[in-house]
Amino acid sequence: MKRSTLHSLLAAASFALAASYGVTSSAQDPAHPDLSGIWTLTKPINAAKTEDGKTPPLTAAAKAVYDKNLALGKKGNRSFDGVSECLPPGMPYAQLLNKPFQVLQKPDALYFLYQENRVPRWVYINQPHPPSDEIDPTFMGDASAKWEGDTLVADIVGLNDKTVLDRSGLPHSADMKLTERLSVKDGILTDRITITDPANYTAPWTTVATYKRVPASFRIPEEVCATKVIQTHLDVNGKLAGTAVKRAPAKTASAAPAAAATVKK
Amino acid sequence: MQDPRKLGRLALGLGLGAAVLGMSTSALAQRDVGRNLYNGPDHTLEITAPSGDTGPAPAGSKPPNLDVKDFNGHWVNFGIKHLAGPAAGVPAPLRPKYLKLLEKRMRDTNSGIPEGDASTQCFPHGTPRAIESPYPVEVIMTPAAHGQPAQVTILMETLHNIRRLYLTDKHNAKMGESFLGESIAHWEGDDLVVHTNKLNTRTYLDDEGTTHSTQESVVEHIHKSPDGKKLIVLSTVTDPVTLYHPYTTRTVLHWRPDIRNQEFICEENNRNGVDEHGITTAK
Repeated sequence: MKRSTLHSLLAAASFALAASYGVTSSAQDPAHPDLSGIWTLTKPINAAKTEDGKTPPLTAAAKAVYDKNLALGKKGNRSFDGVSECLPPGMPYAQLLNKPFQVLQKPDALYFLYQENRVPRWVYINQPHPPSDEIDPTFMGDASAKWEGDTLVADIVGLNDKTVLDRSGLPHSADMKLTERLSVKDGILTDRITITDPANYTAPWTTVATYKRVPASFRIPEEVCATKVIQTHLDVNGKLAGTAVKRAPAKTASAAPAAAATVKK
Repeated sequence: MQDPRKLGRLALGLGLGAAVLGMSTSALAQRDVGRNLYNGPDHTLEITAPSGDTGPAPAGSKPPNLDVKDFNGHWVNFGIKHLAGPAAGVPAPLRPKYLKLLEKRMRDTNSGIPEGDASTQCFPHGTPRAIESPYPVEVIMTPAAHGQPAQVTILMETLHNIRRLYLTDKHNAKMGESFLGESIAHWEGDDLVVHTNKLNTRTYLDDEGTTHSTQESVVEHIHKSPDGKKLIVLSTVTDPVTLYHPYTTRTVLHWRPDIRNQEFICEENNRNGVDEHGITTAK
């Protein structure tokens, strides 16, 4: 039997098996369940909870930080949340935003394209992390995943500490590691994310989010957060249009905005 | 073996390091001399452009896919083309009012007080300027599913721009104006033909400041070279308000399977920092 025929038969068998459990396979990756589509939370999440609905097991020091963030949030002060300054949400916050995201699926990667300020996230499949000393910490981390049956299990490292875990302001350190388990059944995508961060949590804990696909006519709009904070531009007649909105200096700003003007992109 | 992403980043970093050499006093500056790309006689309109580029994929990289209708993968524009008109150094066929505006912007840049533009304000670059970026792009082609049309997605490293080219025959009435517009596409033989409109006027057509109106539309013919190593993008720009007639600009993207897009956070300026001498750098 030709190898390609064998693969086709295996893919068909996998499809049949998956279909029998309410799971359909991906057109792009017939051997695996179809995680693609534009998804949105089944219900909004303001604060990440453990699987049994409790506040995560914060250390005393982390609880003090969290209480401060909660108090700020109650006053409408979002200074603890980089999303309010157009920075990427990080993880798991990106998965907990009450805005749609598109998943593109390939055999070697899953792409999450968030409506939120056009933030992308790559989950590489069957590709190991680079050596740890070569990973520069980023907002969205370095994700390496494998299929375990019908579940895609991603290991996420290399997350910087400029983000919070959720809208409520749960803290984390740069040593945090995540394990993300993605599965789909009966049209519902489930993301189970286990957070391991001994500096802030006394034990690993897992939060769960579920998503449904948006109506077929929906297209993700182009969302440009910067238009909310910097609103000057020259119109077609060369006149200054819009209003300069004074922006509080970002805690993480590394250079004067004017510097970028000298670089051609 | 070193991580291929790092190797690609190093090569790109060198190319982009060269991209700021006009202002730099670094060792790289002495190696790489800018070129004046403006073809006209008016020296106040000179464009001093970098000559650095990233080069092809290193030996031993994954060979290109020879299917000319499969654009999946990573691609890099090796050079930044300035004044992305009908030829290098030649402006778009602008009506006089808009040509004067372009010249003002070029003189402002040459006098050291450039206008802030879309990219410096962390806005997407517009079309066709976005595809001219020297940062990598990743193309992902996906079939129609769940009521959504088949899609050619261009993930741009620069400014995390995302272009979605929908393989449909109609623009969507619900989509409003945006920085990158709405793109619909179809195949004509081996060419992917992309029609883009609904572009807002907060962007320029090129780095120098060629303006456009909301009546701008762009038709791109994208095809892959038979050896799989190049994506050639011919962008025909039409704008009855600003242009005497449509013109076509050409961009060549090169196959670079050894790199991955990296995180680009314009909002905290993580890629264009200022060094201890006050010189802008790129990485």
